[in-house]
Amino acid sequence: MITKINMGLSLLFVTALYFSNTTTFMDSKKEYLSIKEQQQTPLQKSIAQGKEIYTDFCIQCHMANGKGNGSTFPPLDGSDWLKKKITESIHAVKYGQKGEITVNQKKFNSIMPPMGLSDEEVANVMNYIQNSWTNKSQKMITAKQVSAVKP
Amino acid sequence: MKTLSLLFFSFFIFNCEAQLKTNDAIPLQEEVKNYSFETVVDGINNPWGMAFLPDGSLLVTEKSGILYHVSKGTKTEVKNLPAVYNRGQGGLLDIVLHPKYAENGWIYITYASTEGEGDGGNTKLIRAKLENESLTQIESLYKCGPNTTKGQHFGSRILFDNAGYLYFSAGERGNHFVNPQDITRDNGKIYRLNDDGSIPKDNPFVGQANAKTAIYSYGHRNPQGLAINPKTGEIWEHEHGPQGGDEINIIKKSANYGWPVVTYGIDYDNSIISTEQQKAGIENPIYYWAPSIAPSGMTFVTSDKYPDWKGHLLVGSLKFQYLELVKLDGNKIIGRQKIAANIGRLRSVTQGPDGYIYIGVEGKGILKIIPN
Repeated sequence: MITKINMGLSLLFVTALYFSNTTTFMDSKKEYLSIKEQQQTPLQKSIAQGKEIYTDFCIQCHMANGKGNGSTFPPLDGSDWLKKKITESIHAVKYGQKGEITVNQKKFNSIMPPMGLSDEEVANVMNYIQNSWTNKSQKMITAKQVSAVKP
Repeated sequence: MKTLSLLFFSFFIFNCEAQLKTNDAIPLQEEVKNYSFETVVDGINNPWGMAFLPDGSLLVTEKSGILYHVSKGTKTEVKNLPAVYNRGQGGLLDIVLHPKYAENGWIYITYASTEGEGDGGNTKLIRAKLENESLTQIESLYKCGPNTTKGQHFGSRILFDNAGYLYFSAGERGNHFVNPQDITRDNGKIYRLNDDGSIPKDNPFVGQANAKTAIYSYGHRNPQGLAINPKTGEIWEHEHGPQGGDEINIIKKSANYGWPVVTYGIDYDNSIISTEQQKAGIENPIYYWAPSIAPSGMTFVTSDKYPDWKGHLLVGSLKFQYLELVKLDGNKIIGRQKIAANIGRLRSVTQGPDGYIYIGVEGKGILKIIPN
């Protein structure tokens, strides 16, 4: 269902586009993208690749908005657990997670199976999660850092 | 160009936002707890499939690639398992005995394998025998291809029908616009084979150019439940939908089950996959869950141990962590009842030769349901 706010926002955005006179916006999309790609920092690249991993492996439970389902699957968006426990978070993505954890004062006790991701994929999806929704982190997680996390 | 972009963008926004239409026709009744649980074996992280041997012992697959032989509560790792590709939803999957196991000793197993073309893995079916806690005489019966590193939708369940045909399911491997509707490709299919892996001559797509002739039905997303209806002999299947739209289907030869042309669900980012739920030439499910329960494992209750459950269907819910009793009147779903509320992610369910219901629960192991 489309809300009025949504409709209004999209109209506003489109109107802004219309009047912003960025004549090259549509016609040179290819060029625009390639320049953008060249300018991507390693963190931005990692986030972009991490998004694909997230869509593939995480979205079913943690949802597109990173909010989980409130009972069995904890939120990633605004999660204090994620913020405070970086190594544990990497460990969870790399080897799976089992047992009770407390996220934003709420207890969760379910199982996340190990996904079979490479160290680089773990780093990428962590960077995506740490920089999506309301999450922000300047510290990039590297494959090297992931490989140092042992079972 | 600007006008076009304006039009296009509004249209895009308008079409992308959707809210799942829930199916509230048959409400889920709360649990009536007139039973208790007994642990058959614990310490199994993901008991994906199970099969009872004639001596009452139990074979249990653990997704990461371990096959356990469980006898009187102790578990022994079976040796000589093939290499399992453990990624995303893939790993060691289902296990089933040949209907004439006592005579021929064949055990059928599905798992994710890296064999064949391409990076990654895909669903494979083998048969083997168990000797001295080791798999022997392993025969490859079918390997889906090509491989992919995608994490989704391997299926897989195995089933023998009353005529002795062997069926197994393979999900669409996260490639829904390419695989499920194309019978020249694997994945998103239910397959039918003879017990030795050869293809029955009367399979529906035999003789069609380039068709994968093992295919029996198509248009599936990710089937993780297969069972024979004891009253009709028909094959019942359930499959995961996207967000909403998990289905129960009765499997017919050559039929198209519609994914992703029709669906009762929407995508995880709330975008619309199809605006249509039904279409001519596509089988409609006999029931669908919206929101999804994430069904895994399925069995019909035929035993007298559970008078209220007899004749009905049991389905595991991974998402809501209970066992669902789907009450039937013939082929019609007339009720839903929660069993084993909050037990954990319920991966597999079967009725043992002793008539008791056994459930595989993630993080726990195998539990037996004992009526009071």
